[in-house]
Amino acid sequence: MSTLVKNSGQMLWFALLSLSLVAAVGAAVYSLMVGHEAAFNVTRGVPWGILISTYVFLAISCSGLCLISSLGHVFGFDEFNRLSRRAILLAILCLVGAFVAIGLDLEKPFNMIYTLLSPNFSSAIWWMGTVYGIYLGVLVIEFYALMTNNHKLSIITGSLGFLFAIAAPSVLGAVFGLTLARPFWHGAFLPVYILITALVSGTAIISIVMYFQHSVRGLQMDDNDKRVIRLLGRILRLMIFVLIFSVFWNVVIGIYGTQPGHYEPVKNLLSGSLALNFWLGEILLGLAIPLALLLSKNRTPFTTMIASVLALVGMFFMRYDMTISGQVYPMKAGTAGLIDGLFTYTPSVAEGLIVLGCIAFSALAYTLAEKFLSLDLDSEGHA
Amino acid sequence: MKTKRYAIVLDTRRCIDCKACTVACKAENDVPLGEDKHRNWVTQEPLRGTFPNLGQSFSPSQCNQCANPPCNSVCPTSATGITPEGIVTVNADKCIGCKYCMLACPYDARYYNEETGVIDKCTFCIQRVAVGRIPACVETCPTKVRVFGDLNDPESEVSLLLAKHRYTVLKPELGTKPFLYYLI
Repeated sequence: MSTLVKNSGQMLWFALLSLSLVAAVGAAVYSLMVGHEAAFNVTRGVPWGILISTYVFLAISCSGLCLISSLGHVFGFDEFNRLSRRAILLAILCLVGAFVAIGLDLEKPFNMIYTLLSPNFSSAIWWMGTVYGIYLGVLVIEFYALMTNNHKLSIITGSLGFLFAIAAPSVLGAVFGLTLARPFWHGAFLPVYILITALVSGTAIISIVMYFQHSVRGLQMDDNDKRVIRLLGRILRLMIFVLIFSVFWNVVIGIYGTQPGHYEPVKNLLSGSLALNFWLGEILLGLAIPLALLLSKNRTPFTTMIASVLALVGMFFMRYDMTISGQVYPMKAGTAGLIDGLFTYTPSVAEGLIVLGCIAFSALAYTLAEKFLSLDLDSEGHA
Repeated sequence: MKTKRYAIVLDTRRCIDCKACTVACKAENDVPLGEDKHRNWVTQEPLRGTFPNLGQSFSPSQCNQCANPPCNSVCPTSATGITPEGIVTVNADKCIGCKYCMLACPYDARYYNEETGVIDKCTFCIQRVAVGRIPACVETCPTKVRVFGDLNDPESEVSLLLAKHRYTVLKPELGTKPFLYYLI
């Protein structure tokens, strides 16, 4: 068995993740003791905060990873096979992290039993919970099949996983899209848009992992590895390009005609309380710089990794802005506590720590899995 | 006998913004203190005109007890329900506190009650209506802005008011089919 920590860099990585987890557990216990009302900054006007946006971020990353993985063992692009084990494991861990985030946001999580005892089939959240619940089961079986080289089972579960990877984020998008009262969210755009962002997140995560699983272990990338990471960079470039148009039209449709409830949140993104998030987080870090890096002719695996990290940071901002923007416009006139006619929201320390913990959980669990499981294919031949 | 269909008809021209309805509701229904904790409210409309010719209106409101309530459609555990008389309720034992209903409601009629740990809303004081009384906000109003009654009874005061006067409902374009009627 390999030693858990081999150098100071790894030591720091483990220390940071463990510290984040401890802080998050502390924050979660604190929030349960004093109540969400005191621990979180969510309000009547903005009841969904950063825990929900983090749930969305992690849940769609899961689907994106699954879609990338399916390129290999479902669609027959064999060079992607080497990613499958890692991608599916990451998908599982992202989804578990997502469930922790949303679980801690619920006021009465134990009443979830009533999703089975008295289900409401017209509820998008019911469908989302059900689809993601089954999806997790499929992913676990798929991972087992991949680890045991059960080719037949991995094709079956991989195909199922692919269907769920499309269905799950679109249902998640529908949770927002079906809110008739919220023009910023309402409509068919979000279920499709979220699928595009899933691919960005998933491709970015697997590129980052692909890079570091070599560099941390001191392994040289062989030609196939270099080819795969180059292909991942191309996929990411394409998806960012598509996403730029999605964001562009979402903004234009919001400001064109100044429809109340749609116009104000979009204007708030462009020049209001979320402007820094939008321009710096989403546009510059998440879209412009990664695209520029990925367009460069002398792109190396390192460049792709940096572009992926930035795109992933951008995706986090995008999820946050999407979640908050839909709520900032008040439903009734004369509401108290508005700034420039809109609600504002800033996460509390407890919320921030729990978010950090959910992401740290997925990262730590994955790092440990790298240590204790054999995620390389035999054919890769890393010495 | 035909099932009752409860509704409230409001004549906002009578409202003097004393907020007795909000106070009565809080006392009757154990609504926690705090500005954003309320089952009903009074909106102060913007001032009209220029000094010295000024005017202002006040608009009380609460849950519209919609016939097609979005809060009911979105509830994953069926904690939200509708009584045969049309009152939209929350079963606290089933609510998971996901707050989706708060976002789905176009009237901002729902809030999180930290004392019960679940989502709460106006029920037309269902506990009073069950024993033949009228909702607290209706009973307490000094200028009789609100009138409560059964729309399925053509002789009820609400039915007569709606027959006699023109009226509007809030956000009809959303198809929620609200049962708060505002006389014009």
